[in-house]
Amino acid sequence: MSVALANHSTTWDSLSHGRPGFIRFGAYLGVILGAAGLAMFGSGGYNQDQYLFQLLGSPGLIWCGTGAIIGALSSTVLSTLRPSLTESRIATNLVPWLDGVLMMLLLAAVLSQFEPPKSMISFDDQSNLFSGRVIMAMNIVFIFSAVSYIAYLFAPDSFMGRLATWSAWAGVYAGGSALLLRWHESYLISPDIGHAPVSNLYEVFILLCCVTTTVYLALEKRYQAKAMGAFVLTLVAAAVFFDIWLASVGEASIKPLVPALQSYWMKIHVPMNFIGYGSFSVACGAGMAYLWRSHLEKRGSNARILAVMPTLDQLDQLAYKAVSIGFPAFTLATILGAAWASEAWGGYWSWDPKETWALIVWLTYGAYLHARVSHGWHGRALAWWAVAGFLVTLFCFLGVNMYLSGLHSYGRLS
Amino acid sequence: MDNLKESLKPVFARLGSMTLAVGILCVLAVASAIGTVLLQNQEQSDYIRQFGQLWYWTFRSLGLFDMYHTWWFLTLLAFLMVSLAVCLWRNVPHMLKEMRTRKVTITDKSLKHFHHLHHWQIAEGTSMAEVKQTAEKGLSEWELLEAEKNDAFYLRGDKGRYHKWGYILAHAAVLVILTGGWISVHYGFRGNMAVPEGQSENEIEFLRGATVNHLKMPFRVRCNKFHIEFYPSGPPKEFRSNISIIDHGKVVMTKDIIVNEPLKYKGVRIFQASFGDGGSGITLKLFHLDGSQKIQTVKTHVYDTWKDPKSGVSLQITNFRPFNIQNMAGAGEPKNFQDLGPAVEYIIRGPGLKPVKVKSYMDPFVMNGQDRGMLMEVSESGDKKDFQPFLLGLDLTHPKEWKLFHAFIHAAAALGGGNTQHERFKAFNAALKQVYGNKPPKDFQDLGARLLQGIASLPKIPWPFIPILDNYHQVYYTGLQLTEDPGMNVVWAGSILLVLGLCIMFYLPHRKIWLVIRPAGKGKGLEVSMAGMTNRNRLGFEREFQALSSKLNTMFEPQ
Repeated sequence: MSVALANHSTTWDSLSHGRPGFIRFGAYLGVILGAAGLAMFGSGGYNQDQYLFQLLGSPGLIWCGTGAIIGALSSTVLSTLRPSLTESRIATNLVPWLDGVLMMLLLAAVLSQFEPPKSMISFDDQSNLFSGRVIMAMNIVFIFSAVSYIAYLFAPDSFMGRLATWSAWAGVYAGGSALLLRWHESYLISPDIGHAPVSNLYEVFILLCCVTTTVYLALEKRYQAKAMGAFVLTLVAAAVFFDIWLASVGEASIKPLVPALQSYWMKIHVPMNFIGYGSFSVACGAGMAYLWRSHLEKRGSNARILAVMPTLDQLDQLAYKAVSIGFPAFTLATILGAAWASEAWGGYWSWDPKETWALIVWLTYGAYLHARVSHGWHGRALAWWAVAGFLVTLFCFLGVNMYLSGLHSYGRLS
Repeated sequence: MDNLKESLKPVFARLGSMTLAVGILCVLAVASAIGTVLLQNQEQSDYIRQFGQLWYWTFRSLGLFDMYHTWWFLTLLAFLMVSLAVCLWRNVPHMLKEMRTRKVTITDKSLKHFHHLHHWQIAEGTSMAEVKQTAEKGLSEWELLEAEKNDAFYLRGDKGRYHKWGYILAHAAVLVILTGGWISVHYGFRGNMAVPEGQSENEIEFLRGATVNHLKMPFRVRCNKFHIEFYPSGPPKEFRSNISIIDHGKVVMTKDIIVNEPLKYKGVRIFQASFGDGGSGITLKLFHLDGSQKIQTVKTHVYDTWKDPKSGVSLQITNFRPFNIQNMAGAGEPKNFQDLGPAVEYIIRGPGLKPVKVKSYMDPFVMNGQDRGMLMEVSESGDKKDFQPFLLGLDLTHPKEWKLFHAFIHAAAALGGGNTQHERFKAFNAALKQVYGNKPPKDFQDLGARLLQGIASLPKIPWPFIPILDNYHQVYYTGLQLTEDPGMNVVWAGSILLVLGLCIMFYLPHRKIWLVIRPAGKGKGLEVSMAGMTNRNRLGFEREFQALSSKLNTMFEPQ
């Protein structure tokens, strides 16, 4: 922040502001409503097995296309009638994200052209699937990005900073499109097996890397906290190494879903949870940065890094910021999990180890927020809390699967 | 009375204090963690084995084996509720009042203390009314109030004025959720029933502490059919039960249920939970090993025990599975899933016999297209992990092979024991001729190899006969879970409040700005000060404040 690289790429921003952005927002909204309409009213109700095929086929084109046209037209009319609408915060904040999602979908569509011919795809040997290569690219890019961010700490030049940020974005796009490819591939292997790529540890770790990086990048863009990236991307790189290990012990293959997981809830509950986990990882990165900086300051060091890194106050705020993204998301995810549990297991709460640990995570960050907001705690104690909270989170989504049994046992390593 | 009130005041203050709340949250977190490390509601004997007597009784007296229902855990939850209620009781009136009153004027002294502050000098010639108008236009997105005092003009703008509702909703929501949970526990039930195909059941059983309780339902559930589907690689793909609800002797509803798609009747939801063998009909063939070539047919059921009156040997049938999909690949080879066909599991006991668990397959074991004879798996410990394969060599689904086996023994005995290869060859030829006549099977060489394996392996069997699965009539039971949960909707309502409250709390911070316009002194024009504060998201507000300042900059000083 101190060496502020405040080169907000202005042309980029201008595209999502003003009228073009607002019209796009209308179109996106139309597409989403069209997809929802197709789910509810297309061919007489939602059918879990058919929906994706409908969405990608001509019914999807008709519903979403109509939605896009109606949305774009009505937002054009609206913005003519009331020009002040085009500056609405919701539209300007959401449009870049929706643009990003669209680009990721397009990227995945392009990459899917590199899949081997259908006759070469089999369940028994999945090594020829293209997503594997994209994931490998993601691994390399994330590790490169982590190294660049660390280099930036010591050599804060703007090229290095841009390289780090751009490679982090490249990693997010590679990971996201690889997951989309895997989704596609699971259907290529057999329509029976097809499922969203959030069903085992390997897949959710890719998701975790992407979500953590995305949350961090959003904060970086808003608050120019580039030097914090060294800490966050190091965590991401650790996750990448864990994923590489998982692949090396044969946990990377696409496996069919057990009956308990065959539900649309999986597609909502799991990604929501990982928004929480990812944000908590970023909070941990900010906490570590805080502790390091305060350690340096205590020693009276006048290292150049101190000029690069955000101030203690800013780091404190950033950790809180990340928790304030994660906490509501995690709360919602836990509630969605309870809703799923009530539909699949007959009760919204069973004190299953995973549920209980989700509660513990929730209590930990709930206590963090109370200590901070109402008790006015700041500084080192809370930075330690953010780091400790992340360890609890880590146990919740990894330790429980590895060491405890229970109803979430499908997340287990075999 | 007043005295009592006075003396309760500190208690009340303590109960609603934040320190207590954070303390309870932390203690709850630690207690919950213990409950996940110590497996809950296991067999008491397992606990004794695991911890030894001393720790077993220590843990047991603390209720750690059914921790989430112990008095102290529930007391903790009750404490949390009381603390929350007191906290709300004490703070909500303040908050409501604060949201209503908005002080417009601001003293110079307090103005100086603002972190976010901006000043403008407006040159002589612009009237106060003009500046006021410009400022109001610039602050069009803010909820404005205005006032005039001592020549100065005050403007107050608010955004997210209802931020405090976030606190109120989120905290009230936790109370609502806990209340819903309490209603669920006290007025709801959750239990299991196992219904064999073709039968009906109206009682559920559930665990309370270490005892099993029963509860009658106001209707009967009949399982018409249970169907299980597998993926080609073995794991189950779908469990589906076709069930009928029988109320007052009449079928009122017939429906399929699968995991994730329950059925609801009279407020009771019925879930597909598990399945198992519902007492399948089993036909066994007993191949007597006394040289009599006798093959006895026995009909029994899973979970029944059949006893041979003559030898005293008993067979307790424990399980039956129509599919047994196994990975036949060796370590490091690509996976190769193969269905070994139906198999029955039984425990064989008898005078002078060591009881063992046996899994007997109906079909011969085929590898690379070649018949390898009957397969059995034997576990000496009775544990599934310890099953060891045992190949009989002979394919007993062909009655002729059983005859061939005996013919060979006779022929070999006549030739002097069949100890040399030559003798065995001759005996085999003789037996082949005796059983198959002049038309020996095409794969007779292979048959010979298997026969020799049978000669070697059959005498090792200590039982008077080999029980082989011959036929079956499969009957499943479907494991259903029945629940009634009147607290559930309360919990959902609380959940919605919670998410709503959190969103208001985190994403709608209360931002206040004051704009003070006053004459700077004779001939010096006007002085404008803007101060801002927020209770959340300081970084975000800093940006917002800066943007607002520069916007007003251009408005006050048009180029």
